[in-house]
Amino acid sequence: MVSDRTKRNLKAELRESALAKLGVALVALVLVAAAFAPLLAPHDPTATDPGNASLPPLGFSTTENQTTSEMVDGEIQVVEQEVQVNATASHPLGTDSVGRDVLSRVLFGARTSLLVGIFGTALAVALGVVVGLTAGYYGGRVDDGLMRVADVMLAFPSLVLAIALIGLWGRQSIAIPDPFVRLGLAPGMPESAVIPGTVVVVVALVNWVWFARVARGEALSIRSAEYVTAARAIGASDRTIIREHVLPNSITPILVLATIQIAAIILLESALSFLGFSGANLSWGLDIAQGRDYLASSWWIATMPGIAIVISVVGINLIGDWLRDALDPGVDQGEGGV
Amino acid sequence: MSLGRFLLRRGVHGVFVVWGVVTVVFLLRFISPGDPVNFIAPLDASPELRRRIAEELGLNRPMYVQYAEYLAGLVRGDMGFSYLRGQEASAIVFARLPATIELAVAASVVAVVIAIPLGVISATRRHQPADYGATLFSLVGISTPNFWLGIMLILVAAVQLNLFPTSQRPVGFLEIFGHLVAVELAGPSVAVPLDVRAFAGTLGTWLWHITLPALTLGTYFTALITRLTRSGMLDELGKPYVDAARAKGLPETLVRYRHALRNTLIPVITVLGLQLGTLIGGAVITEAVFAWPGLGTLLIGSINVRDWPLIQASLIVIGVSFVLLNIAVDALYASLDPRVDYE
Repeated sequence: MVSDRTKRNLKAELRESALAKLGVALVALVLVAAAFAPLLAPHDPTATDPGNASLPPLGFSTTENQTTSEMVDGEIQVVEQEVQVNATASHPLGTDSVGRDVLSRVLFGARTSLLVGIFGTALAVALGVVVGLTAGYYGGRVDDGLMRVADVMLAFPSLVLAIALIGLWGRQSIAIPDPFVRLGLAPGMPESAVIPGTVVVVVALVNWVWFARVARGEALSIRSAEYVTAARAIGASDRTIIREHVLPNSITPILVLATIQIAAIILLESALSFLGFSGANLSWGLDIAQGRDYLASSWWIATMPGIAIVISVVGINLIGDWLRDALDPGVDQGEGGV
Repeated sequence: MSLGRFLLRRGVHGVFVVWGVVTVVFLLRFISPGDPVNFIAPLDASPELRRRIAEELGLNRPMYVQYAEYLAGLVRGDMGFSYLRGQEASAIVFARLPATIELAVAASVVAVVIAIPLGVISATRRHQPADYGATLFSLVGISTPNFWLGIMLILVAAVQLNLFPTSQRPVGFLEIFGHLVAVELAGPSVAVPLDVRAFAGTLGTWLWHITLPALTLGTYFTALITRLTRSGMLDELGKPYVDAARAKGLPETLVRYRHALRNTLIPVITVLGLQLGTLIGGAVITEAVFAWPGLGTLLIGSINVRDWPLIQASLIVIGVSFVLLNIAVDALYASLDPRVDYE
């Protein structure tokens, strides 16, 4: 499936490009965070601790004006005093307004982002490739019909369609038991990872069209190739031809597109969570939304998860650039940002 | 094919797409869980009252009848009445439209004004600090979620430095325009000088409020256009016609801007056309961050209370604008590049 020449190109490009190396490093970082979150996180990300609420990150200890009322000689007096709020090593990135550990939430948030990114893209690829190959290979009315459906899908900006669908369809989620907790390796951590199922379906529904267009283009160009005519002449069925010839030739452009789409879907998921339209309980977008209300007093609550999003998306985009430069399929990349 | 015929053909195609959009939007209500009556009727409503509400709103009729009536209404410009606000949905939507258009246009202006010079500088000073800076900016810019960027801008520019307001849109562009029109309406015989102070005041208030939202929405596009301009300029500057232009003694500025930049803009416009959806989607979420009273906040608010006529009206207006914008971009593209046949 991946030829030796392709592998050589990829390696050569990786050796030459510092940005490609950076991309691999950033994505590795995020993958490790997501995979081993229960082992790496210092606290249960969902555990509240009001006594340690709104602690600043290390290096950002602050003073805070606190008003207390005291009984002095039988009268209530309001006393304002400066209180030192110290960062602690136990909460390196600080805590949120109810005392949950920001670092732990950022680590676990990586799981939600990556799972939605990967499952959402996989579903979009499956849908798009089936539709695109069918349309491109058979042509005629099948093609016309399917492409008109695609036109209508493209007539909605993907974020707008996603907001409408998820806002209306609800927030079903799927809990996957955490293997580390099962094996007793991470006591006190959440027992399962919650995947926002509706979000996965919706992001796939709004993104499949890009894959369909690429797959269709490839199928159209290969359909009339001589070796396909030859295959047909020796009696190969349509299914065999699609599977053996058309699909393998479409893989490179679809791979590059899928990489970029994972980044786009991570951004989309964070936006939907930010708007409160996701079923995930641990999500970067959700934490940014919660931190927004405490900007004046606790800037780190909204800042840290945003940095995590930027790191992940920069990493994936760099890998996308690397694949594109090495394989050069010249793909139409679809809608990107949020 | 002539421009007229091209527009006609795209127009006919556009009508079909719009019909598809309308149909999908209509069907959305039937594939979404939850009876609309639940959101309108009081919790303890009797079955009789619920039945009357459904009848009043026409929700008890067969789907195809509702569909036919919906289409007939749309042709007359009637998008129904908002369930909760007792106003025509179209009136509410069109009252919100200017705010969204302003935001999208301001963001595009920010993007083009910053990105094209930045891309040119980056391409002509390759491997110099300015180039690395621009490359880093465009990489981070396309990877930053705009709602977070907006919050960071609020944190730094509004909360810490107190330079800009955190939200709201007290005046719109129409009010600024109003100052000029007032003078116009008074006619040439009446000597009404333009109230410069009031005009400047309104303009200032408008700019003051739109700066952060426009930067929030515009950054992704600034980054993207910088990237495209840089790679496009590098491509063009390596082509033989540039050598020929230089050889015949044209000044470097003329070679760069008259020749190379002009050809670079063609692919830039293509990609911008493809990214229009991102602009509109981004506007929706930027509005949510800044409480900007446009279509996006209207859509989100209507979804939360299942005000179907408003949901449908906002989606249709967004979908139709998007179709029209795409046709406009195609026409612009074709008129910029003489090699493109209107096909």
